[in-house]
Amino acid sequence: MRERIGEFAAAAAPFPPDVEENFFLPAIVEGTYPWFTKVTVLIWLAVALLIVYFVWAYRDPKLVPTKRQWIAESIYGFARNNIAVDMIGREGVRFAPYLTTLFLFILVNNLFGIIPGIQFSPNAHIAFPAFLAVISYVLFIAVGIRQHGLLKYLKVQLVPPAPAFVLPILIPIEFFSNLIVRPVTLALRLFANMFAGHMILLVFTLGGFALMNANALLFPVSLVSWLMTVALTFLEALIAILQAYIFVVLTASYVQGALAEGH
Amino acid sequence: MVDDQPSPRPGPDGEPDGAGQGWTAISYLITGILVWGVIGWLVDRWLDTGGVSIAIGTVIGAAGGVYLIARRLGA
Repeated sequence: MRERIGEFAAAAAPFPPDVEENFFLPAIVEGTYPWFTKVTVLIWLAVALLIVYFVWAYRDPKLVPTKRQWIAESIYGFARNNIAVDMIGREGVRFAPYLTTLFLFILVNNLFGIIPGIQFSPNAHIAFPAFLAVISYVLFIAVGIRQHGLLKYLKVQLVPPAPAFVLPILIPIEFFSNLIVRPVTLALRLFANMFAGHMILLVFTLGGFALMNANALLFPVSLVSWLMTVALTFLEALIAILQAYIFVVLTASYVQGALAEGH
Repeated sequence: MVDDQPSPRPGPDGEPDGAGQGWTAISYLITGILVWGVIGWLVDRWLDTGGVSIAIGTVIGAAGGVYLIARRLGA
């Protein structure tokens, strides 16, 4: 029996886990790839969950909040006070709705990576973090241009307060750091964390089967491997929250940088 | 939403703080070295300096990065 499970697992999932097979999930309905896969369904599910939850929580709002209203308000209050206002200052309140939405959307998508039965985060595909980064990128550049006008914005961003003879060294660094590296790292950080998280869970789960399959005496080691999977799932929960938070904090920090007067 | 007034707590209005500041510093250092390293590499391909210009480039980039961190994030 044990060996048959092992054979089945080995036949179904080669070890080490294959990226093609584990990340490019097949279409749910034949012929709809890539528009109707588990990944796109999860994205729509995340959108639907957030809309339904907040509409439900704010239906018939009370001055003294009910419990469901209190939870929704706490989440918004956290993003508004602890991210938007702390990072950007009073003007940050304007950006609180965007930052809250961004935070919750990333968080829900990240958590899909560890919810049993779903266990795949759309953010493990670079396209989704990349597009979110593009939205934040356009936002903070637009905010900066509206605040200062194009020329002054470029001057604030690219020309540091320094003697003229070092400027030729510094301006290329500022250009890359502020206008190219920012969106790229924003997207890569989230993507890589989610990708690696999924990969690690796969390695420990499938590794358990591979060990058992290689030698029945290794079965206790397989158990250790699966226990590691459970432990790492908790670690992934922490990373899911942390990465959502970092993405939003950095977006807020870039918006703040766009609003700030020259240094 | 319900209490959407600006909070009385003053936010920092100069530099980004905490995590943001840390990331800014790291990004200046790395991009400094990378940008000038690449420029050095291009010069190397052009003049065939045997890699010397890459070394000079990365050192200039690191110095520029440190200088920028001091100017932008320091007092």
